Amino acid sequence: MLWSNAYPLFGQLMSKVAGLGIGNGARDTGHNRQTMRNARTPGQVHLIGCGPGAMDLLTVRALRLIERAEVVIYDRLVGEDILALIPHSAQRYYVGKAPGHHSVSQARIGELMVEQALQGNTVLRLKGGDPAIFARMAEEIEALNNAGIQWHIVPGITAASGCAAAAGIPLTDRNSAHQVRFITATHHADHLQHDWAALARPDQTLVFYMGLESLTAISASLRAHGLPDDWPILLVENGTRDTQRNLLSTLDSVVEQAQEARFKTPSLIIVGQVTRSARQTATLLAQTVHAA
Amino acid sequence: MDYLPLFFDLKSRVALLIGGGDVALRKARLLVRAGACVRVVSREVHAELDELVELHQGQVIIGEYHPALMDEVALVVAATDDQALNERVHYDALARSLPVNVVDNPSLCTFVFPAIVDRSPIVIGISSGGQSPVLARLLRAKLETLIPSGYSRLGTLVGGFRDRVKARFSNVNERRKFWEHVLQGEIAERVFSGRDEEAAEMLEQALSFESGEAVGEVYLVGAGPGDPELLTFKALRLMQQADVVIYDRLVSPQVLDLCRRDADLIYVGKERDNHSVPQHGINALLVAHARQGRRVVRLKGGDPFIFGRGGEEIEELRAAGIPFQVVPGITAASACSTYAGIPLTHREYAQSVKFVTGQLKNRTSDLNFSELVHPNQTIVFYMGLHTLDHLCRGLIEHGKPESTPVAIVSQGTSPQQRVLTGTLSDIVALQQVAQLPAPAVVIVGEVVELQSRLSWFGKAEGSQA
Repeated sequence: MLWSNAYPLFGQLMSKVAGLGIGNGARDTGHNRQTMRNARTPGQVHLIGCGPGAMDLLTVRALRLIERAEVVIYDRLVGEDILALIPHSAQRYYVGKAPGHHSVSQARIGELMVEQALQGNTVLRLKGGDPAIFARMAEEIEALNNAGIQWHIVPGITAASGCAAAAGIPLTDRNSAHQVRFITATHHADHLQHDWAALARPDQTLVFYMGLESLTAISASLRAHGLPDDWPILLVENGTRDTQRNLLSTLDSVVEQAQEARFKTPSLIIVGQVTRSARQTATLLAQTVHAA
Repeated sequence: MDYLPLFFDLKSRVALLIGGGDVALRKARLLVRAGACVRVVSREVHAELDELVELHQGQVIIGEYHPALMDEVALVVAATDDQALNERVHYDALARSLPVNVVDNPSLCTFVFPAIVDRSPIVIGISSGGQSPVLARLLRAKLETLIPSGYSRLGTLVGGFRDRVKARFSNVNERRKFWEHVLQGEIAERVFSGRDEEAAEMLEQALSFESGEAVGEVYLVGAGPGDPELLTFKALRLMQQADVVIYDRLVSPQVLDLCRRDADLIYVGKERDNHSVPQHGINALLVAHARQGRRVVRLKGGDPFIFGRGGEEIEELRAAGIPFQVVPGITAASACSTYAGIPLTHREYAQSVKFVTGQLKNRTSDLNFSELVHPNQTIVFYMGLHTLDHLCRGLIEHGKPESTPVAIVSQGTSPQQRVLTGTLSDIVALQQVAQLPAPAVVIVGEVVELQSRLSWFGKAEGSQA
């Protein structure tokens, strides 16, 4: 059985990691636990990337920290299965932001982390994807630094990697994509201040995060700057989760097709030659919406 | 063994629940999940409990407990904070030989509720016999992660084939071998990746073929930056199932150690400029091993689809008709930047990030410097250490300010990690002195300036640190 194979791994893994003298997050936390009773010793904060959504794409370190969580502050993009791993005894704070609605301000998130840490709690700040990519890591750390709180970061699988793997397409390719570029597209179309001429180069892969609202602008701008109408574009909704859907289309028809198929956030947009092969793997996926 | 674990069929049977608060609600949820008709008795009943019981054909009695309520009952649970009442319930149940549980009072229980991992039809109960519920819960959390959620669907799928397999293989050993093959092989993996229909088809095929020696499968697995704790659970699971592991230079020995002990390990190198096995050779190797019916893990440093040439490998597998799966890994840019304290994007300084290979292969014209100098972006060069001089000069010549911050992160996430920061104009000289070894990523952009404030792991050095 798989789990019986994997189970001894835990001990094996932990002793190996300890032997290496890395994974300092864990040992620090252990130390912190002993002194935690003393409310004047501030707790530490772990910024944790929870990956693209699927529970088994969580890292070993992230899981270990989540299992022992005391206070958890989490976002909209952290998967349900992952939240289910948080112990019942932990305090949970949802600070998610739906597009256009900042339910909890960045400043408030910073305050919350600091308040909880100052009470002596170990605080887990769970984020979807990777903390270094479109996750406002610097701002949150700034708040912790200002308050003199110790922190650690656990990187996670970013949505682009997760969705590409799940769609069976590479992000770089020796012949057709020498580089890959991740772009945020949360703002309204008028505010997309990107260098569209540079983005419209054919020899690269573009990945737009949070871009569904700006799909019309993306499709129009890329064409206006020279990419052909039939240039391939792939939308991946709920990437890596059971509910994942792919839509392989072209720049000129993607807006209409995405509306027809009722694509919703979270959806990732991948533009470039590499997406062409998604059509071939599409049949391997549970639920796929085909472009005509 | 203080308690014998049993699984109780409660479908359409009456479970008596005494108490109407939060604790009673939790127990009621469990009981209705198992199909029980819950009879709740309490002076006051939680609104949600009332609704739940109503919805599941149960019965809510507002009032006092009395022993006659135990008539036709299969099992009794007391969840009240009235100690005397709990004791009465306990003795009444004993007198009628009914199993009874008094919440949080092991001495009054004839059965206990385990911590449950529910992958119905697979159900796992864990008990510490009341010695340490926390330990049981921790174990549960571990199992929750180790057992793919697809086990539930897998259980249902194979359940539907049970009679036919029994008919097909009269020999018990043959039957066991068949099921082991199905439950540990690519059919199970199909279910775990949501491809149930294909799994069912394959199961049909396996049943109709005399010899079950099917084509193997290839898993392209991202091993991340090197720290074994940054492996994903999916990667670990597949590494533990491998018959063959084909790996290259960037996979750390600590990660390699976690592969299945009996697996054949094949090194295919890829030192820069010294491909010990050329790409087409690797492709052929994957196909050949899979054709022998083996489960092949192609283990790559970082993410298989970011400068990992995974695209070429899956193309070959597709052409050969070999099933494959791709497991993403943490790419070097993510890991090295977080461990160096450099965010790749920032609201003010960088609204996009670009990954570029610094391995130029005499095709320098491929690098469009004029576009790389655009502000408000972060550029990460993979394998850029040996072309550093060329990259910096190119950027400056095309108008990127000489003062643009640059960081080299060498052996990122390992205990030997080193970070060197400087600017486009002085990083080459600094590196000549520091001599940081490969593998390394080079990060160019304003975000590097944040490093001095955000550094937390290992040592940092350089002109700005």
